[in-house]
Amino acid sequence: MKLSVQTKAFAMLLSVGLVAGCSSTGDTMEDGAYGSDVAAIDQDGGSTVYGGADGDGVSSSRLSEEERQAAREQAEQEALRNITTFYFDFDTSEIKQEARDVLVAHAQFLANNPRQNVRLEGHADERGTKEYNLALGERRANAVQRFLIVNGASRGQIETVSYGEEKPAVRGSSESAWAQNRRVELVFK
Amino acid sequence: MNAHDSYRQGFPFTTALAALVVLMLLASQARAELLIRITEGADSAIPIAVVPFAESGAMPAGDKVSSIVQSDLTMSGEFRPLEPSRMLSLPSQRSEVYFRDWRLLGQRYVLVGQLTRSGDRIEARYELFDVNREERILGETAGASASNVRTLAHHISDRVYEAITGDPGVFSTKLAYVTVTGDGDNARYRLHVSDVDGKRSRIRLESREPILSPAWSPDGKQLAYVSFETGKPVVFVHELASGNRKKVADFPGLNSAPAWSPDGKSMLLTLSKDGNAEIYRLDIASGNLTRMTNHWAIDTEGAWDHTGRGIYFTSDRSGGPQIYHMDRAGAEPRRITFGSRYNARPRPDAKGEYVYYVHQRERAFHIARTNLKNGEESVITRTESDESPSVSPNGRLLIYATQQNGTGVLTVVSANGGAAYSLPASDGDVREPAWGPIVR
Amino acid sequence: MKGHERETISTDTAPLKSPVVMSVALHLLIVGIALAGWSWTSPISEPEPRTISARLVSPEPRPSPVVDEQDQRDREQERRQQQERERQQQEAERRRQQEEQARREAERQAQEQARQREEERKRQEAQARERAEQQAREQEAARQKAEAEAKERERQRAEEERKRQEEAKRKAEEEKRRQEERRRQEEAERKRQEEAARQEAERKRQEAERRLREQQLEALADESRREREAEARRQQEAAAARAREAQMLSESEKYQALIRERLSQAWYPPSSATEDMTARVQITLLPTGELVNARLVSSSGNTAFDNSALGAVRSLSRYPIPSDRDTFERYFRQFTIEFNPQRLR
Repeated sequence: MKLSVQTKAFAMLLSVGLVAGCSSTGDTMEDGAYGSDVAAIDQDGGSTVYGGADGDGVSSSRLSEEERQAAREQAEQEALRNITTFYFDFDTSEIKQEARDVLVAHAQFLANNPRQNVRLEGHADERGTKEYNLALGERRANAVQRFLIVNGASRGQIETVSYGEEKPAVRGSSESAWAQNRRVELVFK
Repeated sequence: MNAHDSYRQGFPFTTALAALVVLMLLASQARAELLIRITEGADSAIPIAVVPFAESGAMPAGDKVSSIVQSDLTMSGEFRPLEPSRMLSLPSQRSEVYFRDWRLLGQRYVLVGQLTRSGDRIEARYELFDVNREERILGETAGASASNVRTLAHHISDRVYEAITGDPGVFSTKLAYVTVTGDGDNARYRLHVSDVDGKRSRIRLESREPILSPAWSPDGKQLAYVSFETGKPVVFVHELASGNRKKVADFPGLNSAPAWSPDGKSMLLTLSKDGNAEIYRLDIASGNLTRMTNHWAIDTEGAWDHTGRGIYFTSDRSGGPQIYHMDRAGAEPRRITFGSRYNARPRPDAKGEYVYYVHQRERAFHIARTNLKNGEESVITRTESDESPSVSPNGRLLIYATQQNGTGVLTVVSANGGAAYSLPASDGDVREPAWGPIVR
Repeated sequence: MKGHERETISTDTAPLKSPVVMSVALHLLIVGIALAGWSWTSPISEPEPRTISARLVSPEPRPSPVVDEQDQRDREQERRQQQERERQQQEAERRRQQEEQARREAERQAQEQARQREEERKRQEAQARERAEQQAREQEAARQKAEAEAKERERQRAEEERKRQEEAKRKAEEEKRRQEERRRQEEAERKRQEEAARQEAERKRQEAERRLREQQLEALADESRREREAEARRQQEAAAARAREAQMLSESEKYQALIRERLSQAWYPPSSATEDMTARVQITLLPTGELVNARLVSSSGNTAFDNSALGAVRSLSRYPIPSDRDTFERYFRQFTIEFNPQRLR
């Protein structure tokens, strides 16, 4: 009884739907809306990623434009070079996108200062075996070393060492602790 | 006509045949003795009574020999010693053993003995009886200095174990392990050597920098390990008796994962001197290196198989770490593990029956083993942050490091995953256990 | 369920109704056809409906004529006088006819007397003639009679002689015939007796044969019956033996399982045991289940393993064994236990 009512209701809805479907053919509003959404995301992304302010109009009469530019860049580079720890995902040695500018800055600094040496200390989180983590820490340090060399540093300036899981930055067995322990630290001497 | 003839000839033949059949039936009936097949044994450990030894002369303070034997046998997981308080009598020699009494107590074996002090030495005279067969299966004497009562007790345990199980006991073997105390600049890394029950522990090396991967030489006289004392991983060989130590691998990059060959003449090492982690064989006498692996992936944690020719190792050449076996240097490695995406640090037993390793299952790390005959994998441990498996020389026990309330501890389990016990807590984190060889 | 019942009820009543309906319909149809047929038959020949004349009408009584009372009385008297006159006339006639009849009777009687007298006279004359003739005839007859009697006597005498001779002859023939008959009868009797004897012999022979056959058949039947009985007995015995065997076997299996269980609990395979190690221990028991002897008959090659087997076998203080002595003797007096681990710890 109930079922038949439902069936009837369903049948009615179906027929109504069919009618509605018929009536809505050719409506392209949704497509348009979806398209605009995607575009908006792209534009937003584009604006945040690429939309950097170009010149702030600060001027100094005593410094030449070039000097000012160099000073500004140096300040920026120094700020970037404050970052000396680079993080990795579990069981990988892939340098993350956000680390690249910083590492480029370090590489240029090393290139500009040939007598400056750096020690790359590779680490892993506590999970997995110690020896494998030792190799994994080394691979991470090597990945950073290659990046620095590619970006101007010379091999002779760089020393790598892996501590594996032996020297965690943070104690504990949590995701956050592990994330902070999977790292390469740059130690300038 | 022929048929008739043959019939006439056949008659006695069939009679003879019938008689033969009857005879055979009778014979078979006579021979068809009942055969009952027993294909399963008791699930529980073997009941054994270790009767407190009779003593003559002053004995050193501390644990009694019989109680050390009792705890050794308990630790093995294969014995279930009877509480001395439940014993009906305390015999110390054969004439005092009433088998019926022990049978009534459900005991299969009875160990009795006498200790005699003579000067600085303690002599033990001990006998092991099979209660059901009413036979003495062991009768020996052994002695040790009064300060080495534990050595004497472990020796007796080994003898009892072997007499009953047919396998050598491992109660006289040693453990090497690393403890860590403090943090940062206050961190202290210590390399210990102790009895297998964790007693009589002695620090062999103390460092502010990490100590890793202790490995026993086959004669049990030397330990190889990785020390960061120079700021980077370097492999040392440490002679225990003298305390002398020397660097055996100090190449650029990694110097790690030492593993002695069964003949003690060479060891496997993981070196990254040629770019990335590869396994090399170091001839100890000459210092010559032979490259065993050559792959862009990480190859490490080499271990000799029971033949002393092939090796097991960890490689992430397939994406994540997995166990491989290689017949000889440069041969095509064969992948052993497939059960999960993370399997590392292989430790084969001495018989070539199983290989043990760290095995990730979901978020937990366990110790698992693969049956090398049929490839079946089984997870042995129930704890969840398990590392550094090390198999006892007789293949019956496994020690590994795990976490207990945030602190590293060592746990011993039956190699098949049965009985388990944790070694007594030491100060700080305990890690990197290495089970020493049986020293004759 | 209720709906279903209702349904079955309705389906039940339907055939009940339908014949009635059918019959009514059929009758209606027939009537209809009849009516149709009625109307179809030529209406021209239809006779005038008789219903008009058939209408019931009671006839009206005729009104009686009004007559004078006096008038009727006179007429009655007249009628009586008339009748009296008619009666007197008829009486006179009757008397006249009686007189006539008496005169004719007297006439007829006179004629009859005359005829009778004539006839008497004629009759007497005839009698006299008859008597004369009779006398003549009687004399002639007496003479002829004497003559005939003489002849008759002669003829009778000859006749008697002939008869006597014939009789003798007949008697002789008779005698002969009788003797012949007797002889024939004796022959027949002899033959009959012979035949009877032969038949008797034959019967007896057949009887004997039949009896022999029957005896043989009986013997055969006896034989086969005995065989059948023997066979049945043998089968019965075999079945009993089998049942006993089966009982012993099942009994044996039960205790085998018990022993297996007890030994499995009592056996501690040593750690050095492998799945290809097999040790066999032969044991001897007392009927009480106590172990008399245990002997390693096949070694595994591993002393600890062999010892574990021997230890297990000896550890049972008393073996579970059947109380039935035959089963015990057959299976459990001495048997072998094989130790071969299949699922090592």
